[in-house]
Order: sequence, then C-alpha cells, then structure tokens
Amino acid sequence: MAELKFLGYLAEIAGAREKILVLDKPMPLRRVLPPSFPEKNVIILIDKKVGNLDSVIENESSVILMPMLSGG
Amino acid sequence: MKGYTGKWLRVDLSTGKISKEEIPDEIKRDFLGGRGFAAKLLWDEVKHIDPLSEKNKLIFSTGPLTGQSLPSSGKMVIASKSPLTGGYGDGNIGTMASIHLRKAGYDVLIVEGKSEKPCYLLIENESVKIVDASELWGKNTFETQDILEKRHGRNSGILIIGPAGENLIRFSTVMSQKGRAGGRPGMGAVMGSKNLKAVVIKGTGSIPNFDDPKLKELGKKGYDEVKGKENYEFWMRQGTMTAFEWCNENSCLPTYNFKEGVFEFSKEMDGYVLEKLHIDRRGCPMCNMQCGHIIKDASDQRAELDYENVGMLGPNIGLRSLPQVALLNRMADEWGLDTISLGSGIGFLMEASERGLIPEKVGWGDFEAAQKLVIDIGKGEGLGKLVSHGVREAAESIGKGSHRWAMHVKGLEITAYNCHGCPGMALSFGTSPIGASHKDAWIIAWEISTDRFSYSKEKVEKLIEFQRIRGGFFESATVCRLPWVEVSFGLQSYPDYLEAITGNRMSWEDLYKIGDRIYNLIRAYWKREIPQFGRTWDYPPDRWFEEPLSQGKMKGVKLDREKYDQMLSWYYELRGWDKNGIPTQETLDDLGLEEVSKEIIG
Repeated sequence: MAELKFLGYLAEIAGAREKILVLDKPMPLRRVLPPSFPEKNVIILIDKKVGNLDSVIENESSVILMPMLSGG
Repeated sequence: MKGYTGKWLRVDLSTGKISKEEIPDEIKRDFLGGRGFAAKLLWDEVKHIDPLSEKNKLIFSTGPLTGQSLPSSGKMVIASKSPLTGGYGDGNIGTMASIHLRKAGYDVLIVEGKSEKPCYLLIENESVKIVDASELWGKNTFETQDILEKRHGRNSGILIIGPAGENLIRFSTVMSQKGRAGGRPGMGAVMGSKNLKAVVIKGTGSIPNFDDPKLKELGKKGYDEVKGKENYEFWMRQGTMTAFEWCNENSCLPTYNFKEGVFEFSKEMDGYVLEKLHIDRRGCPMCNMQCGHIIKDASDQRAELDYENVGMLGPNIGLRSLPQVALLNRMADEWGLDTISLGSGIGFLMEASERGLIPEKVGWGDFEAAQKLVIDIGKGEGLGKLVSHGVREAAESIGKGSHRWAMHVKGLEITAYNCHGCPGMALSFGTSPIGASHKDAWIIAWEISTDRFSYSKEKVEKLIEFQRIRGGFFESATVCRLPWVEVSFGLQSYPDYLEAITGNRMSWEDLYKIGDRIYNLIRAYWKREIPQFGRTWDYPPDRWFEEPLSQGKMKGVKLDREKYDQMLSWYYELRGWDKNGIPTQETLDDLGLEEVSKEIIG
C-alpha cells in the first residue's frame, strides 16, 4: 500500500488529507492524483526524498504533498 | 517626487517643539521609505545612547505604497534603537494609523525627547498637539483604544502602548485596533520611556500620486488576482495556521522551548481545529486576505490567533488547547507584550524549572502558571522579572549553561520555527538585521523542496534574494508581504505600482540595490553602537548544534557547526562583508554610503 498525505489546500484538491492506495504496479505519482492537481509551488517528498509528479511510486511508498508555504 | 507627502513630522516631547521638514529627494531615491527611512534617520541621529533615555528616537515610517488602494498596503514600520538588543530594532504593523499619517500629510513621524508626564499625540492634518494622558496611564491597550475612539471617533488611526510598555518591559510592542502589534524589539518600551501612551492620527487629505487612474486600475486588478488564487479560499479558512500542520510534519514546530520539532498533541490544535472554533476575522486595513482568526478563548471572550502566537504560546510551552492559547494571546495584546518573545520567555522559565535552576515549579503546559507569568512579565515582577529583559539577559542572570537553550539571536527571541533540520533557516535567523526574525527571509519551504540538509552556497544566495525582497523591498515600500508569500501574488506587479505612484520606473535590480543599501546601513549601525559586534553574533543557540531532536521523523537531527560556519562565510562574501561580518569600505562606497564607511572603518 502506498500512503499519500496532503497538506493545506492540496487536501481540498485531492479530496482527502490522507489516502491509502493499493497499486497494481509502480507508476508515476501524477497517475494517482486528480488532473487539477497543481504542477507548481508544491513540495513532494517520497520516502523523505524530494520528488516530483513524474516520480514513480509503488506499494510501501510514503508520499507527502504540501504547498510551498512562505511562512508569514 | 510624486507618491510621497514629502514631509516628516518631528515632535520633541521634552521641549514641545513641533517641526515639519522636507524629505530630501535623494533619501526617497536611495532608501524608498519605511525601514529605509528609519535606518537612515537612526544612523544620522541616534548614536551611542541608552535606548531608554530621552535621546533615543522613535520613528513611525511609511513608504510610497502605504495607504494606497493596493493589496495589503495598510502597513507602517516602527523603529528605534532597541532596548532589547542594543542594536537596530524595528517591526511593521498593520494599522489605520499608517493611512491617516499619510493623509494628514506626513510620511514619517519622529518622536524624540521625553514628556514630563504621560501624554499622547493628537495629529489632525496640520494641527499637532501634545495632550495630557494621565488618566490613560496604566490602562490596557483595549481599554485605551475604546477611550480614544470614543473621544476622537472610530475613523482615527490609533497607536498605543499597554502597561508593559509603561513598565519598560524590553519586548513590549506598540498595539493598534485591539490585536495589531508591531515593534518586537521593545518599541513599546521606548514609547513608554518617553511617557507617550498613544498617538492618534486623523488625516483627511490625499496622497499626491503620479497617475491615479492607472493606480486604481492596477489596484483593482491586484485585489482580483489575490482573490482568484487557487489557495485563496483555504487561506481565508486557516490563514497562517496552515503552517501548524506543515511545521509539525516537517519537524519545524517549536516544541518545549525548541527542544523538539513535533508536538504529540498537534492534532488537537491545528488549522482544522481553528476552523471549527472560528467565529470572526480581524486584520489590517486595505487587506482582502486578513489573517487574524477570532475564537472564544478559555474565559469565553473574543481573542485572536495566528500561527506565530499559537506556535510560541502552544507547543513551545507545552499547552495543547487553542482557547487557552487564545486567552494568553489576548492578555499579551492587552498588556502590549510581544507574543513570540513572551512564549520564548515562558518556555525558558519552564525549562529552567524542570532543570532545577530556579526554585519555582512551573511545569510544561501549566495554564494557570502561564497566565500568572504573563501578568508578572508585564509588570516586571516576581518570576516574570527574570525574563522581562529577554531570554539572553535571563540566561546571563541564572548562568549554569542556560545560554545554550536561551532561544535568541542578537538578543531577539527566535520566532516559531525549529531549525535543528533547517540550516538555511537557521542562517536566516542568524543574519536577520533585527535579531531572530522570520520576516526577512523564510527559506524553510524552499530548502525542503530542494536539498534540505545541504549547506550549499546556492542556499545562501537564495537567502539573500529573500532578504532583498522581504526585508528590503516590502519593509520599505511599505506593504505586507503576505499576498506574495502566502497566495503567490505576482512580484512583477510592484514595479508597476511604484511607477504609477512615483512616475519613476524601477526594476527589481534597482530595488535589490536599495535593499542592499538598507541592510548594509543597518549592519553598520549594529557595529557602531556595539563595538564588539561581529561574527559571533550571527549564530543561533547551541541547542540546535548540540542537542539532536529526540522525537519524530527527524529524530537524531541537529545542525553542523562547521558547515554553518562555511555558509556564514559565503554569506559575508556574497554581501561584501569581511570575515567578521562587517561591510567593507568598497561595499559601502559602491552603495553610496561613503560617510558610513568613514565612521565604522575610518
């Protein structure tokens, strides 16, 4: 199972703050996200390493997607 | 030059003399406004004095964008020589006073001297009066706001100190509109030292702009752009509290006096909890993305929250309830205390108690004790007295290695971001021109999005870019940075605004140079006022280097001192400063600061 966590307004776009997905095979992250998911100003960490929407995820991947906050 | 009223108003409270002076065009050109004007005035006029003596000056400074019909433009900078740090101090505040000051015909108000008895300033266009305020002295900022509004009308700009400022508490602020605060490094104490309880401003004029129709068009477009951003709706629901979950997830949340970066009760007080408790909103004038969320506090009164005060008065002192945090925050606002330094001070005392360094028992998350401490700190009495001059001085007082976890840089308490695993942000705190403030460069998100644990030169370059934009441009323009930083409002709009206002086209390169001039002048100010000032002043506390995080995904992480030192060297090199962090003659001369170089270099 791949675990996806969405922070901030990205949770609104994803429709959930967390998703657990069972993947048939490894696939690019964008395949499991809604088409409206923003391409820019998003930080993606896959297993604590910086990734992007084309990074391949698989079962056991832990993914965090968070907005590029700028800290008040 | 268009876009400025062209005058600064000077009031000497010792003599009662009031003067209105033309602002030289070259000062507008070279320093823009806001922080730039303040730094220039302090450099020229406030030299080698005790910050709480009548020789200090308090500067309320606006810029060409202030008060215009533009996104989040209701800001002013309040600056002085800081009684907390001993160096340059300032802070911005969103207030109707900024707009009224401009409409009254002044870009800057300079207050000097000391009144014999409590007073307030009443500025009504050309008329400037020093009014007796004996009956206001001792009242909190909310009571004072009500009285002055009743007396002078709600359509007034009012700046107030609370009892903390009167009591010369070194991190007392200037307050406005029951919740807006500015001047973290003790600007409230400077005002108190002058027996100045308040400034009331009523302006009815207009700002002479170069092209008002164009500005109106740009302003409307700007407000629409802000509202149209894809995260706008979410921002309006959670505001800066979006950062709470974000920081906890990234192990940046200040927890137990910055010992940890995650809080075990974070889900009980994050932005989603705030949404459920939200009953109203407050914010600054001219803003369509107001960030103050009102909830009912633990005593069922209306109180305001945002990320900084929740971080520092919540996890940092082990408190897990938003209504309780809101109550502490309301008390701080009433007393006129900076909530960040307050949270740091209380956290310091709780840790000192835990370690047995003080006899009093003050446990983490002890709400009753925290309430009492707010009052004691505001009065400078009891246990509160120990931290009422800031945690740097508190650590000097109790010794026993407590300086290692007195969380400040240059004497100013660190804001709500734990940097055990954020070397770039640690350097940002280290090099901020007022002490440990996040407002000049918040680089955490950028560094997490690239290579979080690197100590690269690229990171230092990015940090300087942020400082030029945030600490240089926004603080001097003077407008709020939040439209850009929080909803990605386009930076390209600002040169257009300046052109419509002043008639002069400036590029971002031009604005960066102004920012660099201001940063170098402030750096020189620290050196002139504190002869021993130098490299050692640019390090965050030992805690982040020596005590790794023990909780969460970043368990075991801490900063590397040698690598931090290398980043600091790169920072100096890129800034054109020597190995001790002092601007070189060449750097100062290139920025047109020849007189400054003569004074600090000889």
